[in-house]
Amino acid sequence: MLTEFATVLVFIVLGAVTVALMLGVSRLLQPRDQTAVKLSTYECGEVPFGSSWVQFNIRFYVIALIFIVFDVEVALLYPWAVIFQRLGLLAFVEALVFIVILMAGLAYVWKEGDLDWVRAMQENPAGKGGK
Amino acid sequence: MGMDKLLVIGAALFCCGLYTILTRRNAVAVLMGVELILNAANVNFVAFSHYVSRVIGGQIFAVFVIVLAAAEAAVALAIFLRLYATTGTVEVDTADELKG
Amino acid sequence: MPLGNLASVSRFLPELAVTATILLLVAVHVVGKNRQSSASALLSLAGVGAALLLTALQPSMPAVSLFEGMVALDGFAVFFKALTALATIVVIFMSMDSAELSGKSQAEYYVFLLSVLLGMFLLSSATDLVMLYLSLELVSIPSYLLAGYLKGRKSSNEASMKYVVYGATASGVMIYGFSLLYGLTGTTQIAEIGRALATGKAALPLFLAAVMVAVGFGYKIAAVPFHMWSPDVYEGAPTPVTAFLSVGPKAAGFAVLVRFFYTVFASPDGAGGPWTLSSPVDWTLLFAVLSAATMTVGNLVAVNQKNVKRLLAYSSIAHAGYMLMGFVLLTPAGIQAILFYLVVYLFMNLGAFYVVILVANGTRSEDISDYAGLGSRAPFAAVSLAIFLFALTGIPPFSGFIGKVYLFAEVINRGVYWLAVVAALNSVVSLYYYARIVKVMFLEEPAEKAELAVPAFPRALLCLLAVPTLLLGVYWEPVIRVAANSVRLLAF
Repeated sequence: MLTEFATVLVFIVLGAVTVALMLGVSRLLQPRDQTAVKLSTYECGEVPFGSSWVQFNIRFYVIALIFIVFDVEVALLYPWAVIFQRLGLLAFVEALVFIVILMAGLAYVWKEGDLDWVRAMQENPAGKGGK
Repeated sequence: MGMDKLLVIGAALFCCGLYTILTRRNAVAVLMGVELILNAANVNFVAFSHYVSRVIGGQIFAVFVIVLAAAEAAVALAIFLRLYATTGTVEVDTADELKG
Repeated sequence: MPLGNLASVSRFLPELAVTATILLLVAVHVVGKNRQSSASALLSLAGVGAALLLTALQPSMPAVSLFEGMVALDGFAVFFKALTALATIVVIFMSMDSAELSGKSQAEYYVFLLSVLLGMFLLSSATDLVMLYLSLELVSIPSYLLAGYLKGRKSSNEASMKYVVYGATASGVMIYGFSLLYGLTGTTQIAEIGRALATGKAALPLFLAAVMVAVGFGYKIAAVPFHMWSPDVYEGAPTPVTAFLSVGPKAAGFAVLVRFFYTVFASPDGAGGPWTLSSPVDWTLLFAVLSAATMTVGNLVAVNQKNVKRLLAYSSIAHAGYMLMGFVLLTPAGIQAILFYLVVYLFMNLGAFYVVILVANGTRSEDISDYAGLGSRAPFAAVSLAIFLFALTGIPPFSGFIGKVYLFAEVINRGVYWLAVVAALNSVVSLYYYARIVKVMFLEEPAEKAELAVPAFPRALLCLLAVPTLLLGVYWEPVIRVAANSVRLLAF
């Protein structure tokens, strides 16, 4: 057991040395003439203005979050669908139960008005900019 | 591709994830680190399921990990969003209302 | 022989009752108009009550494996289901009285609460890595939301963020550990993993896997060094949620810790133990050190706390440390002591938090300094809090003392003297900070003399929590017998 830990130790030391070496070499070689142009976001292109941390309309996030959850549930249904015919009635009922539970979630989201883009837009006016 | 290579990829992903979690202070970046770790586990599961077990258990496990990772990410992002709305930041260490 | 899916349903009724209640809550919320009514709370009470009843009626003998080996139905699982359902019922009552939560939409709160309960049911009975991971997340994810339920309050949001960041990391590390275990053995059934590992395997990957899994479980029970989240979360979360998190998920965490480590890294010498270490990794020593560290850190940091919730958070870390002592012994008596301690801990800890809620309803404060003169302002609440605090300290004749006696006796019986000494010293430290609150309540002059009204219903509930706390200190025989009968892990 101890010899195995020695392997790990050697691995850690080698890893640390490699990282230090690479960072050191790049520090030695890199040119260091940092003019204002060099430091700008796009050296030869658009001059960026404003903060990139603009607050998007919160509706985008909510819709995206709801989408993620319902989207990945498909991952569970695919394996079921592939061999669905061999599994018989019980598996069909089980998948139905699963979907019904998901529908409860959908009904909740609907009732809360989170799918309702237009009405929600009036409640939360879009894009007030970063804080 | 042999199992060893897949395991090395998994281990590398795990280390990247852990490194991200330990060094980044932005909560969203930390969450990305967690996703890396979960995917490292997924790589392991699928590799082991193919080379060691030869039954499908590991692949099913990977599917569940994917689904739960999404659920966790959705909840975590919703929480960060709310935090941003009240404090204007999602930095892990500028949140210091609670300490002692 | 594991039962198939259809045959398992009739033995899965408590879980089904909770699931049906959750769906009903959503349905009522969607159809209903009145968002402020207490209908959700009453519906949840009925649902959890039904689940508790079904659990009690469920025959746990002989132990069976359900759903093709996904979950076990054994005495151990039944014990934890009853315990967590009881805790949830008390917390629902507490939530109905809490001023923090009033005026908020209720349905979501109870949906989250019951989802955690369902997760705890499954967590205490899971026998497959997939099920284990699923149920752990089912406990965790709604807990994150519960911690942040006071949307407008900064500290609640911050608590929630810290909880999710730590929690996601811990479960990620744990799942990587699971993947290593799966790779070493080629199966996700914990009993089979245990058998495969007993035949001798590479020590290093096994050690890594054990440590990684310990991170995930250690986080759930808030053991040092994975306790960092708990003081912040406990302080920031609404108080009923804090009470719930400090009892329910912690108990379920112990359940899964015992079931997993005693099945995978140890093998029973007969039905119901004692167990022998079957892996080359001596994890009992590791956990003994963690146990000592957990109680020491919890108690020492608690001494300087000014916020009652934060103090109780550190105290609950310390209590996890005490209970871990029983875990490292590998004997049925050790597990029995944990189970008994959890019952006692449920009453005294929930009771203490309930008084905190009642006081905060009147004073809007959780600072210890605002408890000055509580003995004259609200004598009933003050006396109850004193009872709970003395029980938490472990002074005779309170029930906490009996709980500690069982733990200490078994630790000494197994010859782990250093751990017993550390725990005894810790109990002395804990006396200091618990007694400090009592002193502030009864001996210091209040800034405001007005009486704090405690309505009749909370009084009754306080009595219901205080009576077992006192009674179990003098007559604990039935509970210890139940605990002894519940040390039966399914072996298959």
